[in-house]
Amino acid sequence: MSCEVTTSPAERLAGTVEHLAHLLPAQGPIGVFVHHNTLHAFEHLPFEEAVRQAGQLYGAEPYLSEDEFRRQFRAGRIEAVDVDDILAEEPDATLIPYELTRRQLRRAILLNGRTPMTAQEVRWWLNEGRASADERRRFAQCLSAVQHYPPESQPQKRLAPVVDSLMIRLCSAYLDQGVSHWPMGDREAGFLTAVRQLLAASPVEPLTGIRKEFGEQLERRESAEETILRLLALRQVGPDEEEAFLQDELMALPGWAGLIHRLECEPDLVPHERVPCSLIDYLAVRLSLRRYAPEESPVQSSGENSVPEHAAILYAAVESLSPALPPIESLGRPNLDRFREEVFAFDSIERRRVWHLAYERRHEKLVLGPLVTWFGSGNRAAPAGRPAAQVITCIDEREESFRRHLEETRPEIETFGAAGFFGVAMDYAGIDDAHGVALCPVVAKPRHAVREVPVPGDAGVSGRRKAVRRLWARIAQTAVRSTQSLWLGWLSTAVLGIFSLFPLLVRVLAPRTYGRLRAWLNAVFLPVPRTEVTLMRTGSESHGLSEGLQLGFTTSEKVERVASVLGPAGLAKRFARIVLVLGHGSTSLNNPHESAHDCGACGGRRGGPNARLFAAMANRPAVRDGLRNRGITIPEDTWFVGGYHDTSSDDIELYDLEDMPPSHGDELARLRVVLDAARAANALERIRRFESASAVTSEEAALQHVEARAEHLAEPRPEYGHCTNAVALVGRRDLTRGLFLDRRWFLVSYDPTCDDAQGSNLERLLAAGGPVCAGISLEYYFSSVDNTRYGCGTKLPHNVTGLVGVMDGHSSDLRTGLPLQMVEIHEPVRILFVIEARLTLVAEVVTRLPGVEQLIQNRWIRVAVVDPESRQIHVLRHGSFLAFTEGSVLPASPASHDWYRGKSGHLPVARMGAAA
Amino acid sequence: MNELIAAAVAAPGAAVALLAIAWLLGIECRERWIARLTGLVYSFSAAALLTPAVRMCFGDAAGWSIPLGEWFRVGDHAFQFALRADPVSLPMLLLTALLAGIIGAFSRTYMHREPGYFRFFFCLHLFAFGAMIAFAAGNLDLLIVGWELVGLSSVLLVGFFYERSGPPASAIRVFATYRSADVGLLVGVFAAHHFRHTSSLEGIAGHALKPDEATIVGLLLLVAAMGKAAQIPFSGWLPRAMEGPTPSSAIFYGAISVHLGAYLLLRAYPLLTASPAALLAVTLIGLGTAVHGVVVGRAASDAKTSLAYASITQLGLIFAEIGMGWTTIALIHILGHSVVRTLQFLRAPSMLHEYHHMHAAAGGRVDAAEASLESILPEGLRRRLYWFALDRAHLDRFLDAVIVRPVFAVSAWLAGSSQNPKASARSEAVPVALQEGADA
Repeated sequence: MSCEVTTSPAERLAGTVEHLAHLLPAQGPIGVFVHHNTLHAFEHLPFEEAVRQAGQLYGAEPYLSEDEFRRQFRAGRIEAVDVDDILAEEPDATLIPYELTRRQLRRAILLNGRTPMTAQEVRWWLNEGRASADERRRFAQCLSAVQHYPPESQPQKRLAPVVDSLMIRLCSAYLDQGVSHWPMGDREAGFLTAVRQLLAASPVEPLTGIRKEFGEQLERRESAEETILRLLALRQVGPDEEEAFLQDELMALPGWAGLIHRLECEPDLVPHERVPCSLIDYLAVRLSLRRYAPEESPVQSSGENSVPEHAAILYAAVESLSPALPPIESLGRPNLDRFREEVFAFDSIERRRVWHLAYERRHEKLVLGPLVTWFGSGNRAAPAGRPAAQVITCIDEREESFRRHLEETRPEIETFGAAGFFGVAMDYAGIDDAHGVALCPVVAKPRHAVREVPVPGDAGVSGRRKAVRRLWARIAQTAVRSTQSLWLGWLSTAVLGIFSLFPLLVRVLAPRTYGRLRAWLNAVFLPVPRTEVTLMRTGSESHGLSEGLQLGFTTSEKVERVASVLGPAGLAKRFARIVLVLGHGSTSLNNPHESAHDCGACGGRRGGPNARLFAAMANRPAVRDGLRNRGITIPEDTWFVGGYHDTSSDDIELYDLEDMPPSHGDELARLRVVLDAARAANALERIRRFESASAVTSEEAALQHVEARAEHLAEPRPEYGHCTNAVALVGRRDLTRGLFLDRRWFLVSYDPTCDDAQGSNLERLLAAGGPVCAGISLEYYFSSVDNTRYGCGTKLPHNVTGLVGVMDGHSSDLRTGLPLQMVEIHEPVRILFVIEARLTLVAEVVTRLPGVEQLIQNRWIRVAVVDPESRQIHVLRHGSFLAFTEGSVLPASPASHDWYRGKSGHLPVARMGAAA
Repeated sequence: MNELIAAAVAAPGAAVALLAIAWLLGIECRERWIARLTGLVYSFSAAALLTPAVRMCFGDAAGWSIPLGEWFRVGDHAFQFALRADPVSLPMLLLTALLAGIIGAFSRTYMHREPGYFRFFFCLHLFAFGAMIAFAAGNLDLLIVGWELVGLSSVLLVGFFYERSGPPASAIRVFATYRSADVGLLVGVFAAHHFRHTSSLEGIAGHALKPDEATIVGLLLLVAAMGKAAQIPFSGWLPRAMEGPTPSSAIFYGAISVHLGAYLLLRAYPLLTASPAALLAVTLIGLGTAVHGVVVGRAASDAKTSLAYASITQLGLIFAEIGMGWTTIALIHILGHSVVRTLQFLRAPSMLHEYHHMHAAAGGRVDAAEASLESILPEGLRRRLYWFALDRAHLDRFLDAVIVRPVFAVSAWLAGSSQNPKASARSEAVPVALQEGADA
């Protein structure tokens, strides 16, 4: 970044590129989708500043559109008082003595005004619309007031579409993970060499002169840096223009450049074929092509729109103040100047900033207001005595409704939320997997390997299973490959082709039947061995696997992991006879973004094995001995069961039930009944959001509906994922048990009474949960406010390329971010953390977590704190905590179903179960 | 029976008319309503066509000719319209009704909440109507009507997402390719009228024309078929057409639209038999296309391009089959290929999911390639061939050089000579949209 006098040009270049690389999207190959803050590179800036700067850089919208905010205002989602609250917190100024202050002006523009007309609208309005004589006169005044206002200069970029399309073709071929049958040659030598070899070999040049260029580069054995510097010099780009020039080059195709950079930093992310990636190589190729490409002259903006647009802004402000404001020609020069400057300073982004803050302020009131009332009403104490069962799920907001339905179905059940990898960071390979994958948050690197292996007696079954699967793979591969080849293709289309009619009909017209048929075929032909997971490691025996991973966990490591979940949740004494631990994931077809619906805490994968392992660990007597020393006493008759919840089909699978003592059979049977009832109720609640399911009203039909969704080839919305996320509660379930939270709250179980004086547990939870929840919230935020630039647009034309990402149609930049279908019902608000702890403790803990502190200080997340004893709420505003005491209405309803029935929008917090 | 067949062909047209009227009257069509209409239309068409198909299977009838009347008459020269249901057209009609119905059912879910829902279904019906007319046409005049409707709806769906710059650019390219190739069909029909005063399928059968005449008409029709069926050198438009929503790619470029070219040759086969030269040309074009499709397809690294070239390969083989006189095999090939490719296109977004499962089931390694010809080539030649494949056989470059640029040069010259500066400025702006790379 900073250039010292002594650095060589090549070093300077490397520094510049490294710096610019941060601006590229950080999304890896799409097979493992991990939510992260789209503007991670801007986190050092305050949120409002960051969205403005990034908006300029990427040409993206920082907030929702003004029209959308005005719609929300008319719909009552934003109220005038919210706007007043925000304006009152910002500095005021006198604009026209005794007549107008800044606050009054801004209020009028937002609440009384209309979105200023564009130049085209002005012309239409004046020429063909119904502008009255009076309006024309006032507009003319505005026009004369801005006559000499300088037009805004638009930064102009030189375009080279030919280069872009070549780069797309080359990058896609280079990064391909197995779509093509003929991979690009020389890939092991890097992108630049591969392209040089390729294009120097062929007499058919994509651009005249490029063959010679690459040939000479090869001959000279020029390094990528040398090539770039030479080409920059040829273009007469000076050292001080270098950064801007290269930035434009990288921003031409940010998706592809970003993936190359991502794979340069983490080559392991590729699913199959590792190829050396380097952004410098990419730039060298691009600049070489660029040299021979015809350049399209930039579209010159004529500036003819500038004056009417400025006039329209002023006019909108004048109209919003009328009739209180005197005619502007009577204001006098200094007043008019000040007024005009003030209006222009309150530009579209500023207006939307205030709108957005008001939008979030209303959200805050809708969340915290009912809580104040709820706490004030002396809410129900949790039922005393031994719980019928305890269920630990992921903190995921999609599990909120499932937990609520469990509690509603059987009030003696307790539920907890913990990050869905359940403290077990591991490299895991199931019996059907070829390689191990990391099941833990992306920031962690697993140091332990766990393998699912058949139990000793079932090795033969396992072998048969493998053989059948291999056979299937060969058939499937041949079937896919053959239709793309010549003679086999003839056989499979001309002779066998017509038989495809059957799967085509069934898969499209009866997807659920197809799913059942497949399950039946699996059951018939695919033997299922009983399995166990290799979680034991005795003492010093280590490095069981080649990659420096240790096979299994020692007893003390197991104790550590179990305690890391039970301790913070406050589960130390009161254990039920059955404790169910549920990981989660999501299955869907025809969905390149499938992984985005999986468990974020498991690195965008499915968390079933983590739950299974956690339960197996917690069931070991030695582990329980160790836990006892840490103050966690698990009774002998408590049994942990691991399981997996599919958030798309609402299916639940339980593991290792054959190991369970027979004495627990009855309890388990009862629990299963509750689980089945809860997942059906959960399905019914989920589908109220789906417009296409409005006719489904029974739980049974709802379950069938979500199962069909998961199996449907044509379904772009198998589930809505994190689309409703808005709040994260770190605290006891008692705080919210009995409240309808509409699947919008992450629920992190944290018992402040079990924490030490330094808040170690809180620190651990915030360190892991803070960035994860913030990442999800902010990715959804940006993909919602600008789905074209920050998101990846509509799914419908997406085309999977190289198994690493999706393009729009046959040739486009790699699209990053979330598709329209995933964010369409999202309310773009920054996530509101509600933390149950003493105020001083929160402040203290946060200073120990620099990453979280930066998120909070720069307002990327919002924070409120609930005192564990007094239950007083404080919200963080402008750097200090203010008491939030204003309770609001807390509606009551007998049960969830009564509350949401017939409604499809976001619902306010309500109280369940109380006699209404 | 005649009425039933005519009704089956007209049903999608009725849907088009209904939607058009609703649109003109400003009636907001609800998704559910459109979906029901779609289900109704194609269930009816398929059921109505099933009866004659069954009767034909059992040998009750060899076919039906359904006169629709006369358009106009000049002297003793008349333009007659007639439908024809025979063992060639009936399977295609049935296939169209079936696949349009399946795609309709698929799109009901897939296109849900898409702002262009109405537009999509309108184009789908228009397409199905066009395809039905083209398949059922008893003479080439009527076939042109269906042929052009298919082309129009195809272009409209390629440009479906017109908010981005890529789809309209691709749509223009497809449109231009279609129009250039359609010249062959138009001139071919003129020629048929000129030689035989008719374009009815019976009237232009081989024995009716002299060999030279048959060669001229046959080659002209071949040009038209090559454009529609993406044969070399026109094949570059097919991957570019993958800009629309996935189900439209499936039915147009996997199933019906691309096979229309082969169907034209099947219909013209009696004529082609009179001209060994034309048959040879069909065979050579087909074989050339098939080989080129395999080579280019092997290097394609995205799902839809890969499928596009897989289709091109089989289309080439179908052409070759027709050229060699195996028309029945060609027809069965068309039917089988349509169904396979439709399913593959619909499953294209699943590629990651399926590849992952296959990879795991195979124990970690899906063989990159079966024994292949390219591995025995010397290095330099291999690279050259790879670039040939990656650059899609350089065909777009070739067409740009020999057609697009000369045409624009001529038009720019014409515009310049008329001394209209505005017009010349415009003509410079157009080639950019048409040339390679404007899609990025």
